Amino acid sequence: MTSPARPWYVPVGPEEQVFAAAHRQGLAVLLKGPTGCGKTRFVEAMAHDLGRPLVTVSCHDDLTTADLVGRHLLRGGETRWVDGPLTRAVREGAICYLDEVVEARQDTTVVIHPLADHRRQLPIDRLGIVLDAAPGFGLVVSYNPGYQSVLKDLKDSTRQRMVAIELGFPPPDVEEKIVAHEAGVDHELAARLVQLGQAIRRLDAPGLREVASTRVLIAAGRLVAEGLPARTAARAAVAGPLSDDPLVGEGLGQMVDAYLADDDG
Amino acid sequence: MAEDVAPLGLLASALAGRALAVGAAGPGEPAWTDGATVFVDPGAAPADRLRAVAVQASLVAGGSLAPDVVRPLARRPALARRYLAVEGHRALAANGDLLPPGLRPLVDHVIAALAADPPGSLAVARGPGALPDPPAAFGTLRPRALPAAADAEQAAATAAAAAGRLPDVDDDDADPDEDVGSVLTSPVGGRGALGRLLARLLRPARGPGGTGPVGAGAPARVGRSRPAGGAAAARGAPEGLGRAAAALGPRDRVYPEWDVHRRRYRPAWCTVHERTAPAGDGPAPALPGGAGLRRPLARLGTGLDRTHRRPQGDDVDLDAAVEARVAALAGVPADEAVYVESLRRRRDLAVLVLLDVSGSAGEPGPAGRTVHEHQRAAAGALTAALHDLGDRVALYAFHSQGRTAVHVTRVKGFDDRLDGRAARRLGALVPGAYTRLGAAIRHGAHVLDERGGTPRRLLLVLSDGLAYDHGYGGRYGEADARRALAEARRRGIGCLCLSVGAGTEPVALRRVFGPAAHATVPTPDRLPALIGPLVGVALGDRRAP
Repeated sequence: MTSPARPWYVPVGPEEQVFAAAHRQGLAVLLKGPTGCGKTRFVEAMAHDLGRPLVTVSCHDDLTTADLVGRHLLRGGETRWVDGPLTRAVREGAICYLDEVVEARQDTTVVIHPLADHRRQLPIDRLGIVLDAAPGFGLVVSYNPGYQSVLKDLKDSTRQRMVAIELGFPPPDVEEKIVAHEAGVDHELAARLVQLGQAIRRLDAPGLREVASTRVLIAAGRLVAEGLPARTAARAAVAGPLSDDPLVGEGLGQMVDAYLADDDG
Repeated sequence: MAEDVAPLGLLASALAGRALAVGAAGPGEPAWTDGATVFVDPGAAPADRLRAVAVQASLVAGGSLAPDVVRPLARRPALARRYLAVEGHRALAANGDLLPPGLRPLVDHVIAALAADPPGSLAVARGPGALPDPPAAFGTLRPRALPAAADAEQAAATAAAAAGRLPDVDDDDADPDEDVGSVLTSPVGGRGALGRLLARLLRPARGPGGTGPVGAGAPARVGRSRPAGGAAAARGAPEGLGRAAAALGPRDRVYPEWDVHRRRYRPAWCTVHERTAPAGDGPAPALPGGAGLRRPLARLGTGLDRTHRRPQGDDVDLDAAVEARVAALAGVPADEAVYVESLRRRRDLAVLVLLDVSGSAGEPGPAGRTVHEHQRAAAGALTAALHDLGDRVALYAFHSQGRTAVHVTRVKGFDDRLDGRAARRLGALVPGAYTRLGAAIRHGAHVLDERGGTPRRLLLVLSDGLAYDHGYGGRYGEADARRALAEARRRGIGCLCLSVGAGTEPVALRRVFGPAAHATVPTPDRLPALIGPLVGVALGDRRAP
């Protein structure tokens, strides 16, 4: 049911304690944080610690209630009910993780309301039943507040049913450790990659899609671990994905050169 | 071998913690900055350029160029040099965590430790102690090239406080308690410099019906010019429009205005003149491609339809399922599309794009192009994208010159074709005069109601700030615009506002429209990321995020 090794996660604050306490109390958890800061990894690690299976759903704007709860399918001459991921988690007492929940339509997200408050129930209209959540069921949703910064996207009635845990990019020393561990590179290179990431995060340049996340820094490190020169790796893994704008791309390339140049450079 | 140094701008911005461009200095010239751009010699070795940029950006980050500190250096190059020798090291050291590793040796920590902040460095520089010359990589300080923006702002505020109110540009019945201060510090005026403000005030008066103002050559262009600040007198301007609704055209309308001070409407207060914009003579400018905008907008104008006989879907389509079963039992190949799926198909959206062409939009933004150019490009791209998607879309421009002369010019009506003529009309718009936003919103809502013809309607305002009109400043203007929006929203019209390319965050617009219905983007190409959710919320529609 759980993988043998705990997914590697370095806590930055009290997030693990908060999550565990919320889970024991049957409270739903709202994870806030930028792309690639470790939200998914955190949930995996916690599911492992709590000994629960994890059901992950990546939300998108065409996600319907039926996609979460389940639907009837026709098989030959009969209809057969197929549980959706949320229903499965409710029955099994798994942790259900709705990734990027704001991407889903609001008429879809309301199905989690009765699950997220004291009722802990999932009504399934199409079957005419109300499922009580099995012990151990936990609901976790994540969203990225900066992603669509113009809006407060999540409905207040949804937000208020959640315990919020804010995850940011880890502080430089922790991030350095993470990059070194995940990518299998030495600490000096990890430190430089983190420094590059820190510098890019200070930018608000038009044409820059997102900031350099821990994830892209790890990707750069992994390319280096494969034997690529650091600058080539960082251009491919950091500068490339962040922008399609040639000018911004060139600027990022210059930053890569500045931060990953050899000492004598 | 000179190279393009502009790409170093990102590094400079990262080190400075705010937008900072990099430009070319003359050959052999030491690096310097004016606070917005770092100038380095493109012919210098790459490592030297990098050092120069890092030092200048760190000076910006460290507050080393604050007016208070730099002012005493203006005419004392020797002192400036000593100040740079200390402050350069201090700023670099303070920025140490961010400096690329290769640049760390540049910092002399002994010197850096002499001062804790820029004034401290200045004190050390003024002191008697011997100081080594700053390294060549430090470049030079040009105190007089630094913007006195903060100074000017301060001066403006002081002037406002002292004067109590602006020179009389108000309409005859302006309220005595008009919020003059907020007019002066209005974000519209870019850096809020008094000079610019006055320039804008005077502009329409100088060229009535001439080359400057918007809609020059429009059929009913009324050069009702009035002395602004008592300085510029109208030259040969016809006192065309009388106070009230004189010479109303077939599409002109009179609107009330909300008086926040008396808490009641002023009936029939503003006259809106709607005209077709003249097409320019030049070749039709290419309408900016709306391709990037099309995708986020594609989902918005559509109603959700339950579609039957789909191969997948949320529910079983009973009719189709029965038929399929019958077919199967009869030994005929059965259709497997037996589900009901919710699809977005029906287009039911009308959008009126309202483009602010007041004088403030003619000012250059931070990126060099004027705000008007940015907004015009955005308006064109949005119109083209919506038109391509099959929505009903209209594009109007507005500006005003007092309450009896609110001009709304039609670039493209709902039933006009989006062709070269429309593009030429858009290209021929010239910014000028003021913004009476409330009347423009009321007219836009009226046009949407009358000619939109769809259940869902959206009013999209492109404006760089809440500039004021005669007797329409500060709190009064804001309250009226907010009132006009509430009226439109009550009639089921979604309203939102975009500021494109404006140098400052238009806080007043944000207050008027509300944070969820206003967004600021530096350039039109940032629009695609934002437009979907904004329009979705404005339409009360959370189907598409």
